[in-house]
Amino acid sequence: MKRYTLLQCFTVFITFVLISIFFSSEDVSAKVQIVASLPDLGAIAQEIGGDKVDVMSLAKGYQDPHFVDAKPTYVTKLNKADLLIYNGLDLEIGWLPPLITGSRNSKITSTDALGRLDASTYIPQVLEVPTTQIDRSMGDIHPKGNPHYLLDPRNGIYVAGGITARLKEIDPENASYYEENYKKFADHLNQKIKEWDGELAPYKGAEIVSYHKNLEYLSDWAGFKEVGFIEPKPGIPPTPSHVAELIKKMKSMDVKLVIASNYYPQKTGSLVADQSGAVFLSIPTSVGGQDGINTYADLFDVIVGDITSALKNETGETNHSASKAGG
Amino acid sequence: MNFIKMILMAAALFTASSAYFQNDSFGQEGDDVKKEIQELKQMMEKMQQRITELEEKNRALEQQAKEKEVVKENVVVTEETEVIQAAPQPRQESFLSKVAQTLNPDISVIGIFAAAWYSRNDPFVFAEDDPQNTGVNLQELELGFQSIVDPYFRFDTFISLKTEGVEVEEAYGTSLFSMPLNTQFRMGRMRAKFGRINQIHTHAQNFVTLPIVAAEFLGQHLNPTSIEADFLIPVPWYMELSALGGSPDVETPTFATDEANANNLAYLLYVFHLANFFEVSDSLGINLGASFATGSNGTGPKERSNLYGADLYAKYRPLRQSAYTEFRLQSEFMWRQADTPEENLEDYGFYAEGVYRFAKRWNTGVRFDLTDTNTPVAGEDGGDEELLSADSADLVSTRAINPGETLGLPGRAYRISPMLTFSPSEFSQFRLEYDYLNQNYAGNQHAIFLQFQYAIGAHGAHSY
Repeated sequence: MKRYTLLQCFTVFITFVLISIFFSSEDVSAKVQIVASLPDLGAIAQEIGGDKVDVMSLAKGYQDPHFVDAKPTYVTKLNKADLLIYNGLDLEIGWLPPLITGSRNSKITSTDALGRLDASTYIPQVLEVPTTQIDRSMGDIHPKGNPHYLLDPRNGIYVAGGITARLKEIDPENASYYEENYKKFADHLNQKIKEWDGELAPYKGAEIVSYHKNLEYLSDWAGFKEVGFIEPKPGIPPTPSHVAELIKKMKSMDVKLVIASNYYPQKTGSLVADQSGAVFLSIPTSVGGQDGINTYADLFDVIVGDITSALKNETGETNHSASKAGG
Repeated sequence: MNFIKMILMAAALFTASSAYFQNDSFGQEGDDVKKEIQELKQMMEKMQQRITELEEKNRALEQQAKEKEVVKENVVVTEETEVIQAAPQPRQESFLSKVAQTLNPDISVIGIFAAAWYSRNDPFVFAEDDPQNTGVNLQELELGFQSIVDPYFRFDTFISLKTEGVEVEEAYGTSLFSMPLNTQFRMGRMRAKFGRINQIHTHAQNFVTLPIVAAEFLGQHLNPTSIEADFLIPVPWYMELSALGGSPDVETPTFATDEANANNLAYLLYVFHLANFFEVSDSLGINLGASFATGSNGTGPKERSNLYGADLYAKYRPLRQSAYTEFRLQSEFMWRQADTPEENLEDYGFYAEGVYRFAKRWNTGVRFDLTDTNTPVAGEDGGDEELLSADSADLVSTRAINPGETLGLPGRAYRISPMLTFSPSEFSQFRLEYDYLNQNYAGNQHAIFLQFQYAIGAHGAHSY
């Protein structure tokens, strides 16, 4: 049998290196390359950056952002990124760090790099920051606080402000363009927030049950009271005893609405709602979470619309739902 | 506040007890103690008062902070231009996040244990980490220390503790900065990028036992102390070419130091790997890889082994239908050529496994494993016994096969392993597995395992 010499090995190796040099004549596009970990951040960045940026979002809107596959193709995206925008507060800790390590891109590898933006640093208040000793017997809790802050549209404006400031630094030539887009974005969203506030006003104080602790910011903004969760502890799937307990509690409190992100299992949620005489609502909680949601404002149009119509029906048809619960 | 209360109480108790014990005149005891208690009572009342004051102060401060927050929010809603000027708000850090703000590396400990039953008295065991005997076995205790070093490198260390001893499984630095040709360097001791299973730690594998081909050809795992360059090849899909050069300092069944040529560059260990990833759709991703390793095998001067590998990994995860359902297919084929002073040896092996995750916490799967090593080699006193793993040397002795008659690894072995896994959380796991082993030279073996593993601390995320 013929022996392979080192020379042959190196020949193969050099061939590959040459091929890669040949292919590496990259197209030098002037646009700022943005990679966003979540589609909401991508959508906001797109509105601020307009046609001066290329935006790519890693997670899908219909996907649980805690459990995203660290696909190698994401490495190639991060390799070319000028700016990485991520949610922070350890939401992406299970999949983003190895991608950043593999990116070989000095623009984003340092935590304080210009090309790396932790959007959570721009929001004024993080909810549920633990103030007592925590450990994992409490489930999969986030030591830095609840990371789902993008479900409060007001935080979207803060984040957009942060993205604008960063884009102006990275691409000073188009600073006024980004500034203008930001103003448009903030004006529009503020206008929308007023509308949504108006629609939600009659339901302030409504008691709801959600699947996971990911609607805290939404409730905080809309004035809902979360009185229970289908998960007994964050990240732990529901158990029969917990579900029974929850149904009992909901009946006694007369809770009218059970909400779950559409990427969570729907069966238990609708069962709990049926048994307790409430309505089960599956909502998209991210841009792209449902067809037709293409912007950050679209997302809240759908969420607010779904919730208000569910609550309207429920409060209007109390008798009906009571009889339903009886059967 | 509770904390302060506790300290004050403790202080009060301490004062009380010391006062009590200092009072050695028993006659006056009653009066003195009463007096002391009176004083203590007063003291505690004062303290209580002070605590209430502090609590009120704190509440007032919180209220103020909240009011400020409200003001801020109003500003946003009414006057948007304010936001852009607003620098990132320095947030009130909790006590805990301050504690976490140290420069210590992430530390993790993962313990893997297995209760095992073997149908034979002298069970066939292929890999070091496999459960060794009927009974309860420590498979591995993995200690991980991982951290960013500086703006240029990160360093990952994994120490593997076993009943037999300690192994530096991995300890390597990874470059984080941009370099020409999209190069990334890894330096230190690491599991070489040869195929797929060689890069996966025991706790992250899908089955209790290691595939026979990995145990026999890679020797549990191929982790030379080495320098590796990984190039991201700019093609429309993901393609990474890795080249590793290092010392075959960890003896394996395939590679070992050539004592006579230990300082000859040509007889070090070199490993090449080409990885491709195709994102066929949002739901389906396919990894295809090819590997080649070459180096001295220690059977004699200038004797060399070449090991070729092909690997396939496909993951189907229909996210739109279900958040957690996924199907994974993983398979590797290895072909080995080894020169020995007597003859050239050729053998091959492969495994294929499918795993179906049917609920968030449950998965099940089956693996088929085969190695075929029929090539005749003159046994005698040649080096082939060294070449063939310690395991096969064991096989020779335990099965009373005359070494003079044994040719290469003793024949064909296949194994079928169905398993069922339950993970109560991401940090604990139970796995039930049955192994049916058939060797055409030594008969069958049945084995049942119940593996349990726990992970504590912060363990770095795994790649795809």
